[in-house]
Amino acid sequence: MEIEEKHNRSFIRIIIWIIPIFLFSLSILMVLYTPVFQDYAFKVKSWFASAPLYEGKSPETIQKLSLKSRRNINSTEEKLEKLRPVKPYIVVNTTENRFSLRNVNGDTIRTGVCSTGKNELLIAGNKRIVFKTPKGIFTVRNKQQNRPWIKPDWAFIEDGLPIPSARSAERIDYSTLGDYALEIGNGYMLHGTLYQRFLGLPVTHGCVRLGDKDLEVIYNTLSKGSKVYIY
Amino acid sequence: MKVKIAFWITTLLLFAAVAYISVTTVIQPVFTKNPLPKAIIRSNPEERKKVGKDEIIVPDDDTIQSSETGGNTKDAGNKLLEIRRKEILLRSRLTLATEDSTYLVLDLINNKAILELKGIPLHECRILRADISNSIKLYPADALLNWLAEPFVLRNVEATIPKISFVEKIAPKDTLEANKMVTEPKEAKLGDVFVVMDFDRNLRLVMSQSEQPDLDGLKLISDLRRKYSKLEISRSLKALTKFNREPVKPQIEIVIPKSDATILYKALPLNPRMILRM
Repeated sequence: MEIEEKHNRSFIRIIIWIIPIFLFSLSILMVLYTPVFQDYAFKVKSWFASAPLYEGKSPETIQKLSLKSRRNINSTEEKLEKLRPVKPYIVVNTTENRFSLRNVNGDTIRTGVCSTGKNELLIAGNKRIVFKTPKGIFTVRNKQQNRPWIKPDWAFIEDGLPIPSARSAERIDYSTLGDYALEIGNGYMLHGTLYQRFLGLPVTHGCVRLGDKDLEVIYNTLSKGSKVYIY
Repeated sequence: MKVKIAFWITTLLLFAAVAYISVTTVIQPVFTKNPLPKAIIRSNPEERKKVGKDEIIVPDDDTIQSSETGGNTKDAGNKLLEIRRKEILLRSRLTLATEDSTYLVLDLINNKAILELKGIPLHECRILRADISNSIKLYPADALLNWLAEPFVLRNVEATIPKISFVEKIAPKDTLEANKMVTEPKEAKLGDVFVVMDFDRNLRLVMSQSEQPDLDGLKLISDLRRKYSKLEISRSLKALTKFNREPVKPQIEIVIPKSDATILYKALPLNPRMILRM
């Protein structure tokens, strides 16, 4: 009997030390996981939250405020509507090398693969040439069929060739751009390609290359002034 | 007897420590500081002149507070909140649509993340899971509108993938060297995505992929997570001596497919803006 009592007492002694151990662990946890404890504290705080600001206001006041907001909504919607493109447009995704041709309502007419900039930095002496497709909003400035490509200097530098004079016939290339080309400014274009097998890969010097059939549809759908969104 | 005294002293000291730590790191910052600062409504004087009477005006709190109190219904108030929410969303959209920069619309009501430019949705993806801090979720709805009133501006971003990566190439000396340099292009391997974006007005957006990351990705992700938790620990430790701790940043963590996370991160400009709908 006495032994059993002694046993119980020592058991209680051990058990009771759990309290300081728990407190110690809690203090450590509170420092280590403050965000978790704060998140729970916000829950507690929300129980004491004051009544919503609009509660207790007269129906007339609420109506007046609603009316004001509705008027603002209508005018904002009108302004947003005015920003919509008035012609079909194309959206180019440079991460996945895909395009989507859309009509004025924003409905997709055609989707497909394309090729965009290879994100390369070509170092030629002091010159640094960046091959990447610019992102943003552009406008179709010009459309041309069988447009020859006037090779810029980098095309020769990249091939290890001497740079010819500005008006040299060596610069003219009749095959690279394919059947159609749509200029979007700063020398960038939407055009065809000889390397159809690379479509879907980032291989260009900044232009957007398209497959023959896609390019034909895009050429016939977009007109001068159409928007080109590149992201 | 000695053990008893030791027990009580230890317990009391630890109890005091727990109380002190909880007050310093949890209770004081949560109950005395506002985690969601009010947005400052930008007004464009030229726009005001142009638009005249139809100008977009958000009824400020003073108007509401000073208005007479009476027996309105709760429903009318909720309806007004709904209208205000829509008004704020549209106003923010218009503000950003008039600029030439890509922005993000995080629609937590319809669980969508939309990349927009000039009001045109460029890319849309489904949010598979969204965890929102209680500091946002349980914030009074009407006061939350003041926080959401303007687009959020990115202040700092850290990610496990590069925003843009360039391959450096030295120009060949001749055609022979150029021919040697020609390689067959390959599809780039997508790295595992985990992005922490700190916006103004104390908002943190965490974007992670739904797919299980590979070993390298897992290491990068846990390193980034550890970095942020270390920062919080050091803030808590500092608070113990200074008795002044800011509330933890209200956080929204979204889980989206890896390809979408990559597109969104890479497509956004360096200091993008974001509209939050919730």
